[in-house]
This record gives sequence, C-alpha cells and structure tokens, in this order.
Amino acid sequence: MENTDKTAHASGSGEIRLVNLTKNFGATEAVKKVNLTIPHASYCCMIGPSGCGKTTILRMVAGHENPTSGEIFIGDEMVVGQPPVNRGTAMMFQSYALFPHLSILDNVAFYLKMRSVAKADRRKRAHEMLERVQLDHLRDRMPAQLSGGQQQRVALARALITNPKVLLLDEPLSALDEFLRLQMRGELKSLQSELGITFLHVTHTQPEAIALADMVVVMDNGSIEQAGSAREIFDAPSTAYVARFMGAQNVLTGLVERKSRESAILKTSSGDMLEVPAAPVQASVGEAVSVSIRRDLVQVRRAGSRAKGDINTIEGIIEATEYQGNFVKIAVIIEGVDTFVANISDQSYFAEPVVPGDKVTVSWNGSDVHVMAKPDSGIAGSPYGG
Amino acid sequence: MISDRRPWTFYVLALLFTVFVLFLYGPMLSVLVLAFQGPSGSLSFPLQNSSLMWFDEVFNPTRVGDVPGAFWRSFPLAIMVMLLTILISVTAGFGFRRRFRGSSILFYTSIASLIIPGLVLSIGILVTARFLGVSANWLTTGLGAHLTWTLPFGLLIMFAILGRLDPSFEEAAFDLGASRWQVVKEVVIPIVFPGMIAVALFGFTLSYDEFPRSWLTIGTLNTLPLEIWTMTTNVTSPALYALGAMTTGISFMVIGVGLGSIYFIQRKRAGS
Repeated sequence: MENTDKTAHASGSGEIRLVNLTKNFGATEAVKKVNLTIPHASYCCMIGPSGCGKTTILRMVAGHENPTSGEIFIGDEMVVGQPPVNRGTAMMFQSYALFPHLSILDNVAFYLKMRSVAKADRRKRAHEMLERVQLDHLRDRMPAQLSGGQQQRVALARALITNPKVLLLDEPLSALDEFLRLQMRGELKSLQSELGITFLHVTHTQPEAIALADMVVVMDNGSIEQAGSAREIFDAPSTAYVARFMGAQNVLTGLVERKSRESAILKTSSGDMLEVPAAPVQASVGEAVSVSIRRDLVQVRRAGSRAKGDINTIEGIIEATEYQGNFVKIAVIIEGVDTFVANISDQSYFAEPVVPGDKVTVSWNGSDVHVMAKPDSGIAGSPYGG
Repeated sequence: MISDRRPWTFYVLALLFTVFVLFLYGPMLSVLVLAFQGPSGSLSFPLQNSSLMWFDEVFNPTRVGDVPGAFWRSFPLAIMVMLLTILISVTAGFGFRRRFRGSSILFYTSIASLIIPGLVLSIGILVTARFLGVSANWLTTGLGAHLTWTLPFGLLIMFAILGRLDPSFEEAAFDLGASRWQVVKEVVIPIVFPGMIAVALFGFTLSYDEFPRSWLTIGTLNTLPLEIWTMTTNVTSPALYALGAMTTGISFMVIGVGLGSIYFIQRKRAGS
C-alpha cells in the first residue's frame, strides 16, 4: 500500500523536553512551571503521591490534555496542539482500554486500520506484533477472555505497532498481582532497551521506579522535587520529602553548632549532637540543616552502653519490630523525630534481640550521613498523609 | 447457627411473589385463552369450542372497528418515534457528557415531561396546535406527544450507558490515530450499541402502547390503543381478546428481537 510509509514515524530523537509546563484545572494548579529534559532512549519513571501532577504531565505529553502554558518538545519539535498520532507517542492506559468489541488481532491492528492500510497487510503486521509479545495464539479471542497480564501485553502490542519514539505508560503494573507485576517489570525493561525508544512511566510504587528507571523524577504538589538517577534519588535525596517518599531514609534536623574544615556539628531539638561532613553544609552557625541516614546503615543497641556526649548516637524506645526475612525492621521512638527506622540484618538482630518498650541507642557513622540541600520544611509528614 | 432449613420468612416472601406473578400474568393469560373462544362463547370463561374466528373478525371487520387501519398508523408511528428517540437521545447523551453552563437545568427541563400527567399534556398540545393553526394529526401532534414520553426515557438510559463508558476507550482510539468521527464510528457506537437497542425498545413499546398522550393529539384517525379503547365501549365480542392477544404478541416480538440482538452481540464479544 502507498500508505505503508505513513505508518513509520520519523526515526528521530525521542528526547522529551518540558519548558515551563503549567496546567491549571479551574483554580487548582495541577502542574506548576515544570522544566525537565528526559534523554532519548531512556527509561524515565515519574513518581509521587496521587494528585502530584505526574499523570497530568504524561497526558499532556501524550496530547490528551492541553497545557495552560509552557511548551513540550519531542525531539526538536514543539508538539503542543498536535494530535497524539503526529507526536510519535503511544500511550498505554492504566485500564489498558482494549476495545471490548474487537478481537485481539483487530485491537492491535486498529492503528493500521485508521491509517487505511489494506486488510491483508495490517493483519500480517498485527500477527508479527502479537508474536513479539507471545500472544499470537490468542489473536481471535476477545479482550474479556484474557487474563490481566495478557491484556497488558495486548495493550503494549497495540501501542508499539504505531512505531513510537516515546512510549507513555500510565501506572501500567498497578492492576496486576505481585507475581505478574515483577515479571512484567522485567519485560518492560528489556523491551525498552531492545527497542531503544524513550519510555515515560508513571507510578506510585518506589521499588518499581528504582528497579526500572534510568531517570527517576520525584514529584510533589505539581512540582519536581528531584530528578536524577535511581541511585541519586535513593542514596542522596535532595529534600526531606524525597528522602521520606523513597522510604529508605531517616531524616534528622539540627542547628549548626560549629563548623570546621572537615566536619560540622549539628544540635537537634532534643539536644543530641550530630557530626556531618562539612563540605555540603552551606548553612552558617545557628541555621538549620537536615540530613538523612539510610535505614540499613543504623546500629541499634540496648541503652546503657552510651557515654555522655557521644556523637551520632541518640536514645530512643522501641516502638515495633517487623521480621522481613533477611532483615528486621525496627521502629524507634525518638524525641522530636516523627519516624526513625533501622533495618538490622537478621543475624545481628537475633544475636541481641530487642522488643517493643526496650530502651535503645541508635548510632551510625558520620561519613554515612547525607546532607540535604534544603532544611526539612516540616510540612510534609508521611507522603501518604498518614 | 447455620441450619439447612429455610426460615419462615422464605415462605412468606415466596407466597408474596407467587401472588405477584399471578396478578401480573393471570390477566394476560385470561385474554390469551379467551381469544380462542368459540362462536357460542361469551366474553368470560369458560372457553367453549375453541376457534380462530375472532382473529378473522379482527382482520375482516364486520362489527368491530378499523383495526388494520389503526395498526398501520400505530406501527409506523412507533417506528418513527423509535428512530427519532435513538437519534435524539444518543446525540443528547453525548452532548451531556461534557458539563456545560446550564447543563443540569437543561437536563431537568427535558425529563420534566415524565411527571406531567399525560392527559394534561395531551390537552396542552391540542390547545397549542389549535392556537398555531395546526390541525391535530397522528403524524404531527401525535408524533410530538409521543416524543415527550419516550425522549426522557431514552435520555436517562443513555446517561446510564455513557456514564459507564470509560473515556480511555476514546482516548486510546484517538491515540491510535482515529479522527473524531472514527472514534465515534469505530469505538463508541459499537461499545454502546446494546444500550442503543434498549433505547429503541423503549421508544417503540412506549409509543405503540401510548394512550393518554395520544388521546387528543392524533386527530380523527385512531391509533391502536385508542381503537381498542373505543371497541371496549361498543364491541362485546371476544374479537377484543383476539386483538389484545395479537397486539401483545407484537410487543413481545419487538422486545424479543431487541433482547435477542443484545444477547447475540454480548455473546459475540465474549467470543464463545
């Protein structure tokens, strides 16, 4: 058919660039002047609590929502105002949105039908795409007869047949059970590297983002809190919000007591002293600084062994312990800190077990402390509102 | 304490339901049976020497009114009402999917005719038509009167159907390069089609049966329900039952075709 070439997108760059992107719904600012560049052929996960604007950004990139102001570039092209099909994007919907009245094959071939590709040709290409997701044997079934995992593969095949530069995934794994979720997660990742196109994946599940993404974008309240590699986000959160949201960090705040060339001493509201590397501390003496300490780099001991004025050591009371198999999660009540959690290896836990109500000291190495760019505003508690 | 014995309330409710079913279908069955009354039989039980003579009487009227003529007004009228109801309620249903200024007022205005008594509406339409210099006729004022009855139902059904239609189907189609028209033709219409059949059924049966709104609006020539009503006042033969049996049969046929096609579509979708 003469239309065949129309179905191939310019194999141009799948870089996504958002410039001052803003979206208002009535008086609500869903997305506030967001600037972001997602490199070509990367796997980007946007994560944040519901209502943070991540899905709105995805839908604006897809062309299902128009920005109030700002620009969206895909490759070198400004795509705002263009229909989805001209953008080189394809979207996978959270509910999959498989057409219930069409067979699996016709669902996958839908795009080609809209492009007036001849029937024989489009069936052949839909076959090939279904083979690719290992579902060709189910081609004559109706969507309602497929399992969740199979439906998702069909949705994937239906999106990929458009030969997109950018695949947009709206919480693609949320409808699956745990086992399938992990399996599909792996498949998405390998598919992305195999295809070499940009994946923009919206999720609210931290492990999913960490496991999949080359680039993680943490959002809150219509703005980007931090964008970086999974390792940066996880290990070096720039704000207390990110540290809490990613969930593996304890956040402590203190006022700068004194600073030397190597280290700075912070005094917490309960009077405990923290020693942190001086270099990242920008605040002067008397100003607040927030730091994060990974849960797995904290030691827990029974109280009594503590010398007066010990640095990087705080007393607390065990609130709860939770056995996780290879580690034990210990929640400690510490004055002036809303949650403090230590993940202790099962061996060291069972060597010296503690139970709720025990007085303990928690401690860590000063070099394991990460100093955050901004002091904890104290506004954000748990990102889940609980 | 879980026992296999049914509680006494089961028997009370079962009795209630039986009475309800008898009440619902008993009269219909009586009419159906007495339609086959023999030449010497009367309007009431018992059935004597069953025959088909009263059906013949309906088609070749000697004593009864103009039943075939009334049918050939009622049937096309019901078809027209049905088509208009589908067209208007489906398009209006889509219109209402987007909230717009005054949409709820417009909605309540359009379903208000459900609560206005039909006879009053009938008088109102007649008076207004006279004022405008239009003479009452089943094709004009009659059609309009029937639409005041069927459109609110059609609209409410479309609301229920479109309310369940996941907008992501349309977005997915749009995402895959469908034009606005293709989205409607290739995705929306096929998905809501069973609902449109339900609208059609309501449109047809409500119009075909309609009495109070027809009363003053159909002009000099009767539709079937009015013809039957007229007959009850001057015909005293089982031809009335024969007519009742046939007209009920037509209603059931229409409903059967409608439900059958919904069933067929859904079975096809389930792929079995």
